[in-house]
Amino acid sequence: MNRKRTQQTLYHLVLWLVALVFFAPVLWIILSSFKTTSGILATPPQFVFTPTFENYPDLLTRPNVTQYFLSSIVISLTSVVIALVVSFLAAYCFSRFKPTGTNFLMFLLLSIRMVPSAAVVIPVYLMYVAFGWRDTFWGMTLFYTMFSIPFSVWILKGFIDGVSPRYDETARVNGGSRLHILFRVILPQVTPGLVAAFIFNLIFVWNEFIFNLFLGGRTTTMIPVMFANYLYNDGGWDWPFVSTLTTVYMLLPIVAIFVFQKYLLVGMTFGTVRGEV
Amino acid sequence: MQAETELNHSTIDKLTDTQTGWRRMAARAGKLFDDARLYPILLILPVILFFLVWNVIPTIWLIGLSFYKYSLISSAPERFIGVENFTDIMSDVRVWQSLGRTFIWVFVSITIQTILGGLLGLLFWRSNQMPGRRVALTLLFTPMIITPLASGVFFRFIYEPTFGIANYVLGLFGNQVNFLSDPNVAFGAVMFVDIWMWTPFMILITLAALGSVPKAELEAAEIDRLPWTYRLSVIILPHARYVLMLGILLRTIDSFKTLDLIYILTGGGPGSTTELIAVTLRRQAFEAFDLGWSSALAVILLLTAIAFTSIYIFILNQSSKQQGGVS
Repeated sequence: MNRKRTQQTLYHLVLWLVALVFFAPVLWIILSSFKTTSGILATPPQFVFTPTFENYPDLLTRPNVTQYFLSSIVISLTSVVIALVVSFLAAYCFSRFKPTGTNFLMFLLLSIRMVPSAAVVIPVYLMYVAFGWRDTFWGMTLFYTMFSIPFSVWILKGFIDGVSPRYDETARVNGGSRLHILFRVILPQVTPGLVAAFIFNLIFVWNEFIFNLFLGGRTTTMIPVMFANYLYNDGGWDWPFVSTLTTVYMLLPIVAIFVFQKYLLVGMTFGTVRGEV
Repeated sequence: MQAETELNHSTIDKLTDTQTGWRRMAARAGKLFDDARLYPILLILPVILFFLVWNVIPTIWLIGLSFYKYSLISSAPERFIGVENFTDIMSDVRVWQSLGRTFIWVFVSITIQTILGGLLGLLFWRSNQMPGRRVALTLLFTPMIITPLASGVFFRFIYEPTFGIANYVLGLFGNQVNFLSDPNVAFGAVMFVDIWMWTPFMILITLAALGSVPKAELEAAEIDRLPWTYRLSVIILPHARYVLMLGILLRTIDSFKTLDLIYILTGGGPGSTTELIAVTLRRQAFEAFDLGWSSALAVILLLTAIAFTSIYIFILNQSSKQQGGVS
């Protein structure tokens, strides 16, 4: 018994070690955000130091920083939510009615993600200039909606496939309307898929850079582009700024992953499993 | 049964009569959905619209551009030149080199990520009792949620020859390496960052895939005391394969177009040792502003990517048919 316990403890220690190895570079970023420039550039690197909290207020003094943060939050949330609604409807259609060419369409949807973004951005940019959609809230948001649709449809279709059509039939026989079936019968059963799609797409949009750089403008710039804009300071890299902004910016995804971890693990099975993972 | 349905319908009708306007509108929309032929079309319409506007139009535009000489810096108007862009690319050694480099990059990094992620995923499989498991997994997953741009900047900092921590650690053993400007090391150093970023994703996928293995079969194997290798090949892999393949597919697609990371770490250098195809494309499009040429390259890449993905999807469908799973 005792030996088994020691084994178990050892096993858990190893797991923690693995997690910490992966986390170490991130920890280094976070620690750096509490250092002064000279502290960051010191050789040998400082592991023990007196923390400074100046970098955080300094972040707020950068022009437009609150606006960029707001754009990041509003644009990514809006686009991902719209994408989820739209994808849920399409995934339901693919799963239940199986229109001709379902497989082909699903494949085609994935194709937008295959070309390097540097290539797609050219025609999209020209299109946006032609239509006058550049630097508009909806222009940016709806682009990211399209960006999030393929993965959401893929995940949700798997989950809806896992819900037996008998649920639909039973609800129908009992006089449930189609909307009732969609949102009260099917939707609650695919929550893990929805949450997983939500988090993954949120992270993708949250971190997207190139399209925002070209399609965004004064009012729709998000944090990664701001990040690139202020990298250099007085001819050198602005390390305190970079580390502080990164630390603040990764808070939302980290919290999301912490809170919804259970759903994430179930969600990534693409609906092949129900319940705990 | 029949009577009950009718009763339900009449109650709903009565309800809608007394409800607010919003409810009534919802009910009317519900009626619209009742048309059996219209309903599937209505469901899929939004996605089709999005697809047409943000996917089909740009793609057609891209294909069109690829037949033109279209440069943003020359004042000459765009000019139709047929397939000249394509023949240009075909005879460009640099493109072939970076394409070859990209294939090596995708193959090596995905292989390492899959094996490492698979092993670590197996290791984490039985960790339900682990104290602080949720925190540990969150820490484990952080590399993949940080903006690639920021990771790039930070690894530049870590790799920095004079004050970077990597060289400090190596210095303890008496070695100094200039990670990002030594042509022999740069490719590996950049790939290391990519592996650090994306192995957690494969761990996540492995954990999810392992979760899709039926518990009953595992318990049966436990009782029969089957050897581990046997359990892995006969019980776990056939069930886990579908999810694993999807994960690998997603990673391959993204890895094929790695840009942010390399752009910020090395910009493709030293020389062109880390120049992947997306970097070449970015340079031609946004530094040389040769939009026709880059569009042609994009079309070639699209076709290549579609070819590879079809192979994947084919394998995927085979394994899901065997398993009777989704798709």
